[in-house]
Amino acid sequence: MAARRNNPSGIVPTTQNIVSTVDLDCVLDLNHIALHSRNSEYFPKRFSAVIMRIKDPKTTALIFASGKMVCTGAKTEAQSKLAARKFARIIQKLGFPAKFRDFRIQNIVASCDVQFTIRLEKFACTSHGAFSTYEPELFPGLIYRMKQPKLVLLIFVSGNVVIAGAKKRDDFYTAFDNIYPVLAEFKK
Amino acid sequence: MADTYCPDCKRPTEVVFDHSAGDTVCSECGLVLEAHSIDETSEWRTFANESTDNDPVRVGGPSNPLLADGGLSTVISKPTGASGDFLTTSLGRWQNRGSNPDRSLIQAFKTIATMSDRLGLVATIKDRANEIYKKVEDQKPLRGRNQDAILAACLYIACRQEDKPRTVKEICSVANGATKKEIGRAKEYIVKQLEVELGQSMEMGTIHAGDFLRRFCSHLGMNNQAVKAAQEAVQKSEELDIRRSPISIAAAIIYIITQLSEDKKLLKDISLSTGVAEGTIRNSYKDLYPYAARIIPSWYAKEDDLKNLCSP
Repeated sequence: MAARRNNPSGIVPTTQNIVSTVDLDCVLDLNHIALHSRNSEYFPKRFSAVIMRIKDPKTTALIFASGKMVCTGAKTEAQSKLAARKFARIIQKLGFPAKFRDFRIQNIVASCDVQFTIRLEKFACTSHGAFSTYEPELFPGLIYRMKQPKLVLLIFVSGNVVIAGAKKRDDFYTAFDNIYPVLAEFKK
Repeated sequence: MADTYCPDCKRPTEVVFDHSAGDTVCSECGLVLEAHSIDETSEWRTFANESTDNDPVRVGGPSNPLLADGGLSTVISKPTGASGDFLTTSLGRWQNRGSNPDRSLIQAFKTIATMSDRLGLVATIKDRANEIYKKVEDQKPLRGRNQDAILAACLYIACRQEDKPRTVKEICSVANGATKKEIGRAKEYIVKQLEVELGQSMEMGTIHAGDFLRRFCSHLGMNNQAVKAAQEAVQKSEELDIRRSPISIAAAIIYIITQLSEDKKLLKDISLSTGVAEGTIRNSYKDLYPYAARIIPSWYAKEDDLKNLCSP
């Protein structure tokens, strides 16, 4: 990983959740998997995938009959890859010829605190209003849809900011660098 | 008064339009330029024979530009009382079976009209809502989405655009079956569609407590002094750092103001008229209590009265 980008304020967003997908490249028998593993649940009427959990890293995987798998809950990219590999190993041990193809991180969620309260109503009224949605009746946070990089930021009055939709670490660092001066303008 | 070319005077002259006769007359020479001009304003009434049951002179309602053919269709209705004649009863059924591109639109407009009636909204808002619905329907057919939620959301957006916002809970109360969540989702969807169509962002300002205050106060029957005091209090509270929904703040301020006056309103009544839960009003009261001296105007209540305010 490249060195952490420096923001004049010194605040760096921390990752909270990473969602990744990997292709095990073989057809799976979900019933067999559900019966022969401890930590899984499978209710075909509710959802057509096995939901498996491991303790370390604390993650959850959705394993589909086509061989595709979604891994959620990891805090860093490396942990997400490690967890996906562990799940693939479990599937291998159960007797399926699982491989590890196309590991891709689909979504990174990060959060940070800018340490000051923000005037959301003013924010929504300015030129940034085109990208913001602020409906206090529906949701207490302002939803900012940034175009470049394309992700969504949830900005709260307390100064907490949640960044979601990034595919790479750099994306959300850039996003935070973009939004910080704007937020500073609307400090209460 | 207008300027048109008069063939007798051979030059453009001032022309007078006589509404009663429907004539366009040249003011210089008196030549009638156009007679029998068709009046395109809404139909006027003939007070000559004020018949209480249907006046056969009138045909249909005002023309609706949103409908495909301006609403110029004729409907065969069932004759009152006598229903033995096979032809008349079947004719009505056969006509309805024919394809009518506007049928769903008319149905939707009727629903919007019912909802706005129950809320007591002016015709401007109702027409806005109809326009919005037509625009959205034009772009993407809404099959499969909750129709009631979409109509409720159209009404909500129309109220907002006319600067007379209604809380989602109020709209919920007249929309049959749509929940707050569904209306919220439908509203986001519609706003996105309208932005795509307009090509630019549709500005709808954020809601403020003051917008709703007047209405909540009249629901509760507060006197003028109290209403004025409440409005001032809301203005002052906007500067404070209170992290609550504007509706909850409005409800809490109404509670404070009524507690200070002789005519104390119960939490239950305030909760009913504003739609805010009692617990939420209590919590908002807790947040506002420290600033009570700052926001309540001094001409309404003095310091000692504020001390009498029950501490949360």
